[in-house]
Amino acid sequence: MVRQLGELEAEIMHRLWAWGRPATARDVLVDLSKERPIAYSTVKTVADILHSKGMLKRHKEGRAWVYEPTCTRQQYTASRMQEALGGNPDPVGTLVSFIEQITPEEADALRSALRAAKKRSDA
Amino acid sequence: MITAMALGGYAALVGTAMPPLLSRARWTHRAPVLAVLAWQGLMVTFIVATALTVYHLALTEQHVHEGFLGLLSVCGLAADAPVTESAPTPRDALALSAPAVIVLLPLGWFVLCTWRARRARQRHLDMLALIGEPAPGYDATVVDHGAPAVYCLPGRRRRVVITRGALDVLSDAQMRAVLEHERAHIESRHHLLHLLVDAFSRAFPGLPLARHAKEQITLLVEMIADDRVLRSHSRDALATAMCEVAAGQTPQGTLGAAGPGALIRLRRVLTPQPRPHRVTWLGVVAASTAAPLLPLLVACGP
Repeated sequence: MVRQLGELEAEIMHRLWAWGRPATARDVLVDLSKERPIAYSTVKTVADILHSKGMLKRHKEGRAWVYEPTCTRQQYTASRMQEALGGNPDPVGTLVSFIEQITPEEADALRSALRAAKKRSDA
Repeated sequence: MITAMALGGYAALVGTAMPPLLSRARWTHRAPVLAVLAWQGLMVTFIVATALTVYHLALTEQHVHEGFLGLLSVCGLAADAPVTESAPTPRDALALSAPAVIVLLPLGWFVLCTWRARRARQRHLDMLALIGEPAPGYDATVVDHGAPAVYCLPGRRRRVVITRGALDVLSDAQMRAVLEHERAHIESRHHLLHLLVDAFSRAFPGLPLARHAKEQITLLVEMIADDRVLRSHSRDALATAMCEVAAGQTPQGTLGAAGPGALIRLRRVLTPQPRPHRVTWLGVVAASTAAPLLPLLVACGP
């Protein structure tokens, strides 16, 4: 169940990001129903969850809540990836990076080691 | 008392004197699998020796003969020893529970860390559902992020993640080499090694063995994955990919604790390393097996 909720959250966010305009739960419902039957109350509940998570902001228009993303997809991606990759990934065992972050000096040392090796193999 | 001192000395040797020696040993980077085994051997030995030391100290404290018989039966050597009539006293319980704590402490941390890591991976997968897409042409998830990075999420719902930055800077051959590296981590379940050594160092904070083992195993595991890549990909592809990815994600802020690991790995990938002699192999395997058994012999022997 938790899994499905997470997927529905993603589906709603994808739509709101793609549309680039505020939308009601019913707008989202109409679009989602093209793919599969889904209840209005489910969509409304998940939209409210996204609101409480700070992913969506909302205001009232007439009697309906209108939702829109608090940040663009690019902003969200940038902030979450910096969090995931920056510093020491906590806790251990979450994700395993190909190579750890290094300082510019270390990067230079890496490059010159690579250049030296290539020269050797060319010679 | 002499036994307790001997065991304690052995634990101190394994916990403080051996780690710097093994860290400096030359053969470890040429045989990373063997080296991981040696570090694990040291950690198990430390736990066994410390638990038995504590047990003996608790016994000495008691000056009770039953305790000795109890120890013998624990070791399975005195199954036919006369069963003492008296019910176990609180002191007996102490003598057994103190060493049990030494063993259960790292196990408990392991369970806790595993659980935390699983939850964090779950959260990360939820995030990927929002921002990830299947990478065209690769068995991976791509994220629209500028800094080049490649990583894997191990576990049941395993996945390799690459950023758009990595797609930009890596050629196809380099990308395939990097993906092979990540697959090696996933298939060999290297995250469990990370979790084990993390649990050990949380259970025994400040112990030189914990610090060295964590540092070394982190590096050795990368070397094992590098070696897997070199079986089917060129040295040049892997080495260039390392440079590009490492240089691209230069830290914003406090980092730089990475140390010389990347450089050591690069030199190792570029220069073919002779594998250690068979005698070294046999010696390390024998020592890693014998080291944890030795304290048992001392404690349970005649």
